[in-house]
Amino acid sequence: MRLGAEQWRVFLHWKEVINNRKTRYIEETADDNKSSKEESVIKIDEEKCVGCELCVPYCTVGAISISDGVANINQDDCVECGVCIRSGICPVDAFEETPSPWPRSLRAILSNPLVESPDTRVPGRGTEEVKTNDVSGRAKPGFVGFAVEMGRPGVSTSMRDVQKMTMALAPLGVGFEAENPVTFWITDKKTGKLRDDILNEKSLSAIIEFGIPIEKLPSVIEVLRKMEKEVDTVFSCCVASKVLPDGSIPAEKILKDMGVTVRPNCKTNVGLGRPRFKFTY
Amino acid sequence: MTHTLHRQGTVESLSRDYPMVTVACHAVPESVKGAGPKIAKFLEIAKKNGAINVGDMKQGSIYFDNLDINKICDNVSDTTIAECVFDNLEGVKKTLLELKELDMGLPMVVSGLLEPVSKMLKEIGLEVHTVAQSLGVWGKTELLPRKEVLEITTMCGHHMVSPRLVEKFIDDIKKGKNTPEKAAKVLTKQCCCGIFNEHRTAELLRKACS
Repeated sequence: MRLGAEQWRVFLHWKEVINNRKTRYIEETADDNKSSKEESVIKIDEEKCVGCELCVPYCTVGAISISDGVANINQDDCVECGVCIRSGICPVDAFEETPSPWPRSLRAILSNPLVESPDTRVPGRGTEEVKTNDVSGRAKPGFVGFAVEMGRPGVSTSMRDVQKMTMALAPLGVGFEAENPVTFWITDKKTGKLRDDILNEKSLSAIIEFGIPIEKLPSVIEVLRKMEKEVDTVFSCCVASKVLPDGSIPAEKILKDMGVTVRPNCKTNVGLGRPRFKFTY
Repeated sequence: MTHTLHRQGTVESLSRDYPMVTVACHAVPESVKGAGPKIAKFLEIAKKNGAINVGDMKQGSIYFDNLDINKICDNVSDTTIAECVFDNLEGVKKTLLELKELDMGLPMVVSGLLEPVSKMLKEIGLEVHTVAQSLGVWGKTELLPRKEVLEITTMCGHHMVSPRLVEKFIDDIKKGKNTPEKAAKVLTKQCCCGIFNEHRTAELLRKACS
């Protein structure tokens, strides 16, 4: 299949925006005094907009509405995932994109999978986790990797709610995953406190990743049950385990005993990676 | 963790939904150097064996950017994450058999129902090495879209597929203004990575409209 001229234009535009954003982010992350409200990354040119409403359902968080015959973006709700632009749905090219300053740029880092985190250099919100465990040996027998993805599926999260969760988990002595973007913003690993300047920001989701000795798994589940009532969003949970030579998954029994449902579909690393990590049991 | 996890639906429906993912291990630099051509080989093999969507996090997918599979393979970088999705386990099995034979050393992940995947791996002499298991959705679940919509939107783990767009398409299909197949193609295009299952989407749209 070949790209049409319009598709090329959208594609090249987006690539340029990503490159500009990476540069700006690196330049501006040190400047904590900039307001997150002074400039937004995605706007609608009211002169161009014809109020056709085609873009409205494409917004992942319902931030686009029509008023006075033109489309408006609720900048507080917009998580800058970029779907409105990439979809190419606007017939008059009314969406405008300008690089946003820190901390607003956090929204695209966590919500737009094509934006690489300047801290982790990995596109997307997470890390390699089980994908490379046969080589990295990251999830070892006796330990489990845990991920709490705030805002997923598709509800979005405030960074205040992310902080509520990191602060609830930190006292358990969890080891926050060093290569995860959220971990870069935790200023105190003992308390789970995040940088103050990001607390008014939002994202489509944010993954809190950590490792724990398997005996701490029940304490984590208890904290999560308590936090269900404390946060104003949803969160999706995931447990990563090295499967034992007899084929058993020790975390499963603990979870079952606690009445936690493990879904039938999962991610399976099939052990084809080399050089192979040598696990001890 | 993890954009191919947390897909929702019945076991019957999920039996036609198997994403595969690969990335070289960045913690071991020698495994990253030269990984690009190996990743390209994986995508070629997957496509040949019937993968219905294929993509690469740094370039996009065959739907998202209308990229040609050959073009994706020609430009795969050592550090990318490459993905595809199958609507049957047989294609995954054939792909893994070829990869096992080639022994390129690329870490490989299969997402989907653990029981049949585990059985298939045993048949071809591979192992369930490490698993990431979903514990579902917690918290204010009253904020979620309805189940029929979530079964579609959760196929893009980055949630680039808007629930409002799915609702609009369901409405349009019911009114005869759209078809499940056409709507599924548009929804698949919103996912950048190549893991959105167009065939299952059409099936779920049909079911939601019935």
